[in-house]
Amino acid sequence: MMTPSWILDTLAGVMLLVAAISAGRLMAARPWAGSTGDADIDIAHLLMGIAMAGMLVVSLTTLPNGLWDAIFAVLTSWFGWRVYRESRGQGARVLADGHHMPHLVHSAAMLYMFVALNATAAGSGGGMSGMGGSSGMAMQTLSAPVVAFIFILWLAAYVVLDLDRLSGPGHGRGSYFARPALAGVTAGTGAVSLAASAMPAGTSAGAAAGQDQAADGSHPAGRGLLATGGRSASARALLLSPRAAAGCRITMGVTMAFMLVIMI
Amino acid sequence: MSDIALAGGQDAKRFSASVATADSWRPPDARRVLQLSLAVIWLLDAVLQYQSFMFTKGFAQMLAGTASGNPGVIASPINWDANLVQHHAVLLNTIFATIQLLLALGIAWRPTVRVALAASIVWALGVWWFGEGLGEVLNSAASPVNGAPGAVIIYALLAVLLWPSDRHVATAPFAAARAVGASAAQALWLVLWGSLAYFALMPGNRAPQALNSMIAGMASGEPGWLAGLDNHAASLLAHQGLAASVVLAVALALIAVGVYLPRPAARAAVVLAIVVAAVIWVFGEAFGTILAGGATDPNSGLLLILLAVTYWPTRTLTTAPAAARRAGAEEVRA
Repeated sequence: MMTPSWILDTLAGVMLLVAAISAGRLMAARPWAGSTGDADIDIAHLLMGIAMAGMLVVSLTTLPNGLWDAIFAVLTSWFGWRVYRESRGQGARVLADGHHMPHLVHSAAMLYMFVALNATAAGSGGGMSGMGGSSGMAMQTLSAPVVAFIFILWLAAYVVLDLDRLSGPGHGRGSYFARPALAGVTAGTGAVSLAASAMPAGTSAGAAAGQDQAADGSHPAGRGLLATGGRSASARALLLSPRAAAGCRITMGVTMAFMLVIMI
Repeated sequence: MSDIALAGGQDAKRFSASVATADSWRPPDARRVLQLSLAVIWLLDAVLQYQSFMFTKGFAQMLAGTASGNPGVIASPINWDANLVQHHAVLLNTIFATIQLLLALGIAWRPTVRVALAASIVWALGVWWFGEGLGEVLNSAASPVNGAPGAVIIYALLAVLLWPSDRHVATAPFAAARAVGASAAQALWLVLWGSLAYFALMPGNRAPQALNSMIAGMASGEPGWLAGLDNHAASLLAHQGLAASVVLAVALALIAVGVYLPRPAARAAVVLAIVVAAVIWVFGEAFGTILAGGATDPNSGLLLILLAVTYWPTRTLTTAPAAARRAGAEEVRA
């Protein structure tokens, strides 16, 4: 029994697109210039996109499985630490409202998939293959499927929560979707910088909203600035908008849940 | 740079002011949380529908199996549908899975919640007939332990009860009554749980080994710990079919009438409903056999739990109708 390869190929393509967008966000935000934004999240999305594409289609495999194990163990630890720090201020609310909690779940789910698949492959005496896309190889099954089921429910919950927040009043405000990643974007570079500069210093909610509204041109200031700043500024603003990050996360959550289900 | 700053100066001030006064995101109200829970289950259904098995002829055979024992007028369309799926398994299953994915995303996306809930009702009714053979309620094989009256009909029921309307918000004693009113919601609850009590006492379900074989049959293919639980529960019920069915029917009947009782008793009935549904989901349905692979949905237990939560009697709605109306209006605006 195999999932049709064209579905796996399509999803692998989507994951590579997510990786490309995440790379674009990193380039646009310039974290090496001192930004205090979400570079860790974009790096995580970039790595997850590449890793998932390789799991879906064998020919897109890039790194040895052991290395992916180590990478996602580090990411899981990193986001675990970030969630711990958030929880000191928010308490249990961090589970639903925490900025880093979904990324902890994503990283842990990736770690689980690689570890569980490696264990299965070791048990069967063979190496881990992908899920069969463009390879014709047999589908792998996960050990401890109940853990996979819990991850699926968790991932699905974050997908619907993200969509609810994106479509609700005041979307993009607050610290859930975005932290101000504007330190590396200097004044005069376009809509994002000016929208952010309109906010009181240190107002992360305002900065996030500024990014989002300027990016989609829904605010008069954003529209005017987009026209003035030109195409590159608007593209940059779009890339850095909380919607772009949330879109990547939603896409990745659905794909990850799909992968877990077909590996049960 | 200075041009931009000058041009943007006044706009930026207005922008700052508008953001400062705009509504910030607030946590969803109880009904929205329930809608999102329904969306999570639809999303789970969608990814389950993408499993490898669903793209094979085995899925078509599974559909055809639901026709068995049903009257001809019900069975013939099921067989026609199963035949169609057998010949176009990949295309049709991709469409089925994608529809369910869109339902999930549509319910979660506030501007499309009404469209998605309405579509989910239509879809659920179609699947109830063509995919579940009306939950076997017409062929005497329905049992509350194995998913009667069909898990998917509960999706439709939830979509009706969680419809984003607040016509009855001032008098609604629980979230499920906000759209359809307390009387209609209570009647729907009575019919559902009352029918489950009736099914529990049907001859096929009260036979000495009926529950034993039903639960023992769920162990196949499950992880060791779950298979162990099922086997243990099955051995406890060996030759106790009649007594177990009577106990189950009494519990279900108490749940059915519970919503008409005063608040403390109604809460006890809802708690009992959650406990019974959880027991059914774990022991009778093995989590919908998701862990064994090949499941199309989590079966009725999880849905019954969600349904029970929508009937949890609250004081908030009755004592603070204005706040509820505000929350409802905001939801509709969004």
